[in-house]
Amino acid sequence: MLATYAFEEGRFDELFERPHQPRPHWAGLFRELTRSSAVELRERLSWAERQIRESGVTYNVYADPKGFDRPWDLDVLPLVIAPEEWREIEAGIMQRATVFDAILRDLYGEQALLKSGAIPASLIFNQSAFLRPAHGIVPPAGIHLHVYAADLARSPDGRWWVMADRTQAPSGAGYALENRLIVSRTFPALYKDLHVQHLARFFASLRESFMHFAPKGDGPTLTVLLTPGPYNETYFEHALLARYLGFPLVEGGDLTVRDGRVWLKTIGGLRRVHAILRRQDDDYCDPLELRTDSALGVAGLVDCARRGSVLIGNALGSGVIESGALLGFLPQLTEQLTGEPLRMPSVATWWCGERAALEDALEHAERLVFKPADRAMGFDPIFGADLDAAGLAQLRAKLNAHPEHFVAQELIHVSQAPVLGKGEQRRLAPRGVGLRVFAVATPAGYVVMPGGLTRVASTRSQRVVSMQRGGQSKDTWVLSSAPVDTAFTLLRSTVTAKDLVRLRAGIPSRLAENLFWFGRYEERCDDCARLLRVALNLSLQETDAEDNARAPVLALAQAFQILKPGEEHEERALLSAATRESHRFGLPANLRALEGIAFNLRDRMSLDNWRTINALLKDPVLGRETSLGDTLAWLDRTVTSMMTLSGFALDGMTRDDGWRLLSIGRRLERLAFQCLALRVAFREGLHSGLGWLLELADSTVTYRSRYLARPEWLPVLDLLVADPDNPRSVLFQADGIHGYLVKLERVYGPCGCDEFAPMLRALTSFAPAKLDPENADLRDAIDGLRIAAFNLSDRLAERFFNHAHASTATMLGL
Amino acid sequence: MSTTFRYRVVHETRYRYSSTVTSSRQLAHLKPRVTPWQEVHSHSVTVAPAAVECADGEDYFGNGVLRFAVYDPHDELVVRAQSEVSVRACIEPAQIRPIPWKTAQAHQAIGEPVDLGVEQYRCASPLAPVLEAAADYARPSFESKRRWGDAMLDLTERIHRDFVYDATATTVTTRVAEVLAHRRGVCQDFAHLMISCLRSLGLPARYVSGYVLTREHQGNRRLVGADASHAWVASHCPGIGWVAFDPTNAKLAGTEFVTLGWGRDFSDVTPLRGVVLGAATQMLSVAVSVQPV
Repeated sequence: MLATYAFEEGRFDELFERPHQPRPHWAGLFRELTRSSAVELRERLSWAERQIRESGVTYNVYADPKGFDRPWDLDVLPLVIAPEEWREIEAGIMQRATVFDAILRDLYGEQALLKSGAIPASLIFNQSAFLRPAHGIVPPAGIHLHVYAADLARSPDGRWWVMADRTQAPSGAGYALENRLIVSRTFPALYKDLHVQHLARFFASLRESFMHFAPKGDGPTLTVLLTPGPYNETYFEHALLARYLGFPLVEGGDLTVRDGRVWLKTIGGLRRVHAILRRQDDDYCDPLELRTDSALGVAGLVDCARRGSVLIGNALGSGVIESGALLGFLPQLTEQLTGEPLRMPSVATWWCGERAALEDALEHAERLVFKPADRAMGFDPIFGADLDAAGLAQLRAKLNAHPEHFVAQELIHVSQAPVLGKGEQRRLAPRGVGLRVFAVATPAGYVVMPGGLTRVASTRSQRVVSMQRGGQSKDTWVLSSAPVDTAFTLLRSTVTAKDLVRLRAGIPSRLAENLFWFGRYEERCDDCARLLRVALNLSLQETDAEDNARAPVLALAQAFQILKPGEEHEERALLSAATRESHRFGLPANLRALEGIAFNLRDRMSLDNWRTINALLKDPVLGRETSLGDTLAWLDRTVTSMMTLSGFALDGMTRDDGWRLLSIGRRLERLAFQCLALRVAFREGLHSGLGWLLELADSTVTYRSRYLARPEWLPVLDLLVADPDNPRSVLFQADGIHGYLVKLERVYGPCGCDEFAPMLRALTSFAPAKLDPENADLRDAIDGLRIAAFNLSDRLAERFFNHAHASTATMLGL
Repeated sequence: MSTTFRYRVVHETRYRYSSTVTSSRQLAHLKPRVTPWQEVHSHSVTVAPAAVECADGEDYFGNGVLRFAVYDPHDELVVRAQSEVSVRACIEPAQIRPIPWKTAQAHQAIGEPVDLGVEQYRCASPLAPVLEAAADYARPSFESKRRWGDAMLDLTERIHRDFVYDATATTVTTRVAEVLAHRRGVCQDFAHLMISCLRSLGLPARYVSGYVLTREHQGNRRLVGADASHAWVASHCPGIGWVAFDPTNAKLAGTEFVTLGWGRDFSDVTPLRGVVLGAATQMLSVAVSVQPV
């Protein structure tokens, strides 16, 4: 196992004190590894990999050509940290958080540090992260920095250094939690024996502190987690944390401002929001007062913060600390603000905006790394060592032109820790590691998470350890000298019976709208696939004069917009509608729309839904010339997958109002389609056979077993229109919709029953004898229901989704 | 005692939306600022349809702001600000002390408290960046021995001379580099350009938003920029203080100028900015009148 584990001079090794001699706090893990057989290890690893796949841990990379989601890359070997060493780290992190919070309080308040010159004014005033509209805001309890993260690395002499500080909206705590859940179950006995400190208390502190500091009023205290949405690279983490902490996951469009307070738009109306755990960058938070081009924000949020009616963590403007430019001033600032020396130093860092620092940086450019002084400038770090003479000259010219844009930092040769190789042999290999640690503000001061996210360089020589660049990560085990209190879990209940009713009415409008349209599109895909299958089958069937269904089927295809009127090459057009995404109303376009909606529902629906739709859209039949046979097989696959999806909804979803809206969506779409098919049949198919109509409604088998005869109008209409037990009949859809509406109206008041119910009554009161395709009353009833279905869709949109729309525009006047 | 001039200012902004707006939230910088040379006797803002949640406040730069919301469905929003102010001369060219311009470049001495009110205006801002091209353009006005007042007036006059006033050439988001390249624009562009020039030389400069008198004043020609909101520039020199220059009209900003407020650039003191729900597009019309009373 250790055959290839190389030592490197001038680099700290986390595992070994010297070759073959593990450090005492690693001994337990080392013993376990050397004791386990290769087979045992392989089994554990594949278990861990399966966990990751199944829980859908992902990290989105904007620039990843392979698509949004890259599976999380976890190395199961934790980084182990000894208790006495951790105490030092913990104290250092607490101190830094305290100092940064005090600096923020000053910058957004009195600005004494700027007036005295302790921090150069131009350093702050040049930062785009210094948000002037946030000046003068006094956050609840005066706390600006609620969640703080620091990236640590260990130098060859064994000391820990801070490479970077995260004060805006630190990510990674959720991934650390996920890693812990997987790794602790990969080595359960070892995890217990080593007294590894648990993470749950940290998250409980976070949740309770937000509740504690939040302003009160207008009902139970509500904290939400604000995410920029599913396109953000750490969206998985947002969803995970929201679920773990019990905070609703919301986007800017879910919130609104009224009377100087923030509200969550739910289908039951507005609910007061008292605290926001912010994972969205602050300049995007309010298009009115901050970035006007932000489509993600909440207009008026800054004003609410100013009035103190909402806790925003971290406070708006807290990102200004992230600039490395401040680091050089930190030792003096710490002394000044706390009266103590800085416990955990930063890697030597200078802001080039100061003359002396610039000269130093110019002189030693070849052994420094240069970073933007303002993260908004967003250039990649420049390594002096990588540059040739011309490159260095160019860098020096840039430095001279705009020294204030640069921060120069010394390189650290980071420590190495073992990772388990991917090959069959599972050898240990050394990799550079960095550790991200987290702290949260509580009424008793800052609390540090005992552990963190260990990040692994992807090659032995890689110098930047970053998730955006696609690195591996590890769990971090902080050992405790005493047994760990395991009685604590975050899952204890804090929900009272009274809250239950409120919580149920709390589905955000946008979520409700997505569920409704998921139902509609899922059904639309199903209708589309079935219709295409019936239409394409026409040319295969032996011609049967009596069953000539060409006219009605093609008329329906035209009404459904998958076939143009007067199309000469019908079969070719239908094949294209079945497999070409360029066809606007074709099956792939509808599937694509369904995928888009499912994407927005990822945190609410099981991963199986997502996988099912994905598999369809990756089908090889799409986008190439296909034969009739291949296309029919593809349509069969689609129909099967749609049945699978509806099975998930039937079997796997709680019957809450969201599910009801999804079901209404599906039934409403099916109702409209059935009505359309019947009307076309009445018009074009009076003298055709009716096999196609039964096939379309998936009712052929029922019909045959019930009547044992050729399809005739009366029994067909009875089955497709009036049979209350046929899940494809018009009555079944209308009746179901009515039932859901009644339930919704009990909670939310009128939302469409008044218009829909008479249509349903008209249908139920139909005497069987009048089920005649030439009966005008029947035609009217079918038409009436179809129109009622569309009207209902509008009514629901108006009632429940209206305030979901974030079609805001920012407008400037001269 | 210098003479004071009293004005009545009406600033009406009218938005017509392409579809009904159901919710609108606005932030207005429409209240004239009280300064040593400007008194505000009365000020009111009326909104149609009726505004709710109205709140007065002060921004980071010390300007008065008004926040309000409109929830009545509407296709048109009218915001009418009426103020009465009196203005007296703050400075004449002859009063600007003969100080070398490089004095204004220097930061305060070590140990002296930092004057943040000046320092913050030396730094680049979104619409008035620090640019090599702007510094190059400004340099001929700032020969090394020149006095501050002369250099400033020279730059003011050069911008007036070299640039064409053309309301069709630019929009509110046109960048300084473009203005410099095409040599045309409106008052706002000239103000941003001049601010960029000054900051690029290490001098503090702020953007002043306000109005100029609609009619002739004391027998002078009618000024460009009337009938709309106007913009000019103020710069700071130790021993003199802030002095305002109008590059659009090639002069010191005197008693025919009414000051609304100032910031780093237009984006800090936009007269009216808002977020509306419902409308895709809008038509904006603005009418301003400044009448002596």
